[in-house]
Amino acid sequence: MKEGMVEWANFVWQRLPELQQKLVEHLILTGISTAVAVAIGLPLGVLILRWVLLRNIVLSFANAVQTIPSLAMLAFLLPFFGIGVKPALVALTLYALLPIVRNTYTGLSNLSPAVLEAADGLGFTRWQRLWLVEIPLALPVILAGIRTAAVIGVGIATLSAFIGAGGLGDFINRGLALNNTQLVLLGAVPAALLALLVDFSLGLLEDWLRPGRKPTALRWRTALFVSLLAIVFFGGIWSSQVRRQASRKGIGVVRIGTKNFTEQLILGELMAQLIEAHTDLRVERKFNLGGTVICHQALVRGDIDLYPEYTGTALTAILRRETITDPEKVLAIVRQAYRQKFRCQWLEPFGFNNTYAIAVRRQDAERYGWRKISDLRPMALRLRAGFTPEFRERPDGYPGLQKAYGFGFGRVVDMDPALMYQALARGKVDVICAFATDGRIPAYNLVALQDDRKFFPPYHAAPVVRMEVLQNYPIVGDVLGLLAGKLDDETMQRLNYMVDEEKMSPKEVAHQFLEEQGLTRVRLGR
Amino acid sequence: MIVLQDVWKSFDGGRTYAVKGVTLKVNKGETLVLLGSSGSGKTTVLKMINRLIEPTKGTIEIDGRNVQDLDPIALRRSIGYVFQGIGLFPHLTVAENVSIVLRVLGRPKSERRRRAEELLALVGLEPKIFADRYPDELSGGQQQRVGVARALAADPDYLLMDEPFGALDAVTRDILQQELLRLKEQLRKTIVFVTHDIFEAFLLADRIAVMHQGRIEQVGTKEQLLHQPATDFVRELLAKPLKHLASFHGPALHPSGVEQSGERGNG
Repeated sequence: MKEGMVEWANFVWQRLPELQQKLVEHLILTGISTAVAVAIGLPLGVLILRWVLLRNIVLSFANAVQTIPSLAMLAFLLPFFGIGVKPALVALTLYALLPIVRNTYTGLSNLSPAVLEAADGLGFTRWQRLWLVEIPLALPVILAGIRTAAVIGVGIATLSAFIGAGGLGDFINRGLALNNTQLVLLGAVPAALLALLVDFSLGLLEDWLRPGRKPTALRWRTALFVSLLAIVFFGGIWSSQVRRQASRKGIGVVRIGTKNFTEQLILGELMAQLIEAHTDLRVERKFNLGGTVICHQALVRGDIDLYPEYTGTALTAILRRETITDPEKVLAIVRQAYRQKFRCQWLEPFGFNNTYAIAVRRQDAERYGWRKISDLRPMALRLRAGFTPEFRERPDGYPGLQKAYGFGFGRVVDMDPALMYQALARGKVDVICAFATDGRIPAYNLVALQDDRKFFPPYHAAPVVRMEVLQNYPIVGDVLGLLAGKLDDETMQRLNYMVDEEKMSPKEVAHQFLEEQGLTRVRLGR
Repeated sequence: MIVLQDVWKSFDGGRTYAVKGVTLKVNKGETLVLLGSSGSGKTTVLKMINRLIEPTKGTIEIDGRNVQDLDPIALRRSIGYVFQGIGLFPHLTVAENVSIVLRVLGRPKSERRRRAEELLALVGLEPKIFADRYPDELSGGQQQRVGVARALAADPDYLLMDEPFGALDAVTRDILQQELLRLKEQLRKTIVFVTHDIFEAFLLADRIAVMHQGRIEQVGTKEQLLHQPATDFVRELLAKPLKHLASFHGPALHPSGVEQSGERGNG
């Protein structure tokens, strides 16, 4: 227990600069969006006080926005704003709007009629009445709305890491992708604390703005709190400033994206480190984007310059074509389509084929004599399947599988890719949609069943790069070419295993691999 | 001088009238009391004078000028207004409340403070004690004193008072009525005072206008009302309280000598 604490403290200490930076990012995301929401929501609240027609429209719009799940909102904004800070701010602002507008309206409409009559009787103009009487008196209620908005904002801002907006959600995402609880907590705990902090500080402000005398206790509480806050905030700004200066050296920038699971992070690091080793370009890592569609949109919009994609995924999920089993043909089709439709180039594949694989426990396979997927048919209705939500939806996933094999499973539950393997090993489910290159298949004593109907298309991974980038920096294509064919299935399984089970960071694993292969020492003309 | 000429008011587009053809003259320096039960239209008449309510028909003139031709904001600033709800601003101190009209008029801070202290002293509140308190730290009587001081801030020639003491307890009400009598002598404002309380009317009024169902039944001095009632309504209105008075033999029309400290409850 004690050792665990020491280890945890050490972990946090090591990550402190990054934590501060993410905290500041998170605060800025929440702060700006709340401020914009106040700037829009306050006048709107005043306006709808007198304009009944507008009131219904505004309040029902704000209500409707509130019911959209945060991830759906981010996905919805993607085509308009791409990835990064901008769409995150838009989403957060939209969410913050309802409590602010509603509380402004409620606060203003519940004022004592006597006070308003006095203001009118004394000859206040409408503006004077609003500024001198109505707003000051409604302020505690308005502020309570802002408080609600800010606290909700801190929570939702963790999700904006899915679209590369930074903030504490980065830790959570990375932790989930790497199945690393410490990392998840490093994001989740400060986010929760931040929410409490924001709540407390705005509560203080509310007390200050309440009409009447201010007790001494409130003054002390405020003084203590403000100084504490200043230390954290300026510390964060200072450390992020230091980091920024340290990283500002190259001229050009290459922004590398990845999806949010281990293999992608390793590939992303491999490519990033190679570019850093062989060029003067600065690499920006926009890792852990929340899925295929988000990565693709980001690439097409130019928010990222390249990311690792799988041929089969591109064929079915992006191009929406029928599945084809010949790997060469798939690559050729994808290559041509990407060049014409998206002005992006598929470089040479890394070598491995990370196809979906239906995996079961080795002991079950031996007991029931399962070798191929067809063997599951007699027992299928009694089996519990754990599939990722993406697999359940994709045409080259469960729907297609059912069509190709003519059976489905008795029960299907949604599962996080990081938890699926453990769930199978522990007997929580009987069948999962594993990735062929996942190191946990051998490690957990699982077997991948043979795809006897040749349903799953090939999923050879390769860097997909915007052609504009290859024209501006041809060296990027050359450097990434160094990885072509260097990673076969077993190698990729091994690298994945080192991250997933041996808890090495993708950065270390990538570095070690590049050293082993001598890829960082190869001479390339500049 | 305030002159109302055949003033009508309907709140429902002409189906019924709350005020029916009121014609009335309030002379400079006099206190005219509008006396009537609730629903008689007296408050509506009052509020039409400073255009908190707009008349449906008829004209209202102040010092020879039709109020319809005046900017309502400027009009209200030139007329003090005190009402039963008091309506002090709870987020402002007593001094800030008193001088709020000066603030609205853009007068400098030092002048506002000086005037606020002057007015507080005038209405019997020691400025040193009360100026920096907040309204919720005051008793009901003290709050209405502040209300009166606030109405006097811009030194208006006219004062409209809508049952200002209606919500106060009897003892406090007596004290404030006496105070108002004193202020009346001291300041010589023209006051239109609305009440349903006959004793209050008799105590404060130079002339009384009795209102009933939107009409004025009679306008006159106490003596005229008592001895020459114009209608049965006026006669009956005055008959009952007079009987009560007779049974007391007391000096109820001239209350005096009541302790001032009685209303400073939690001060």
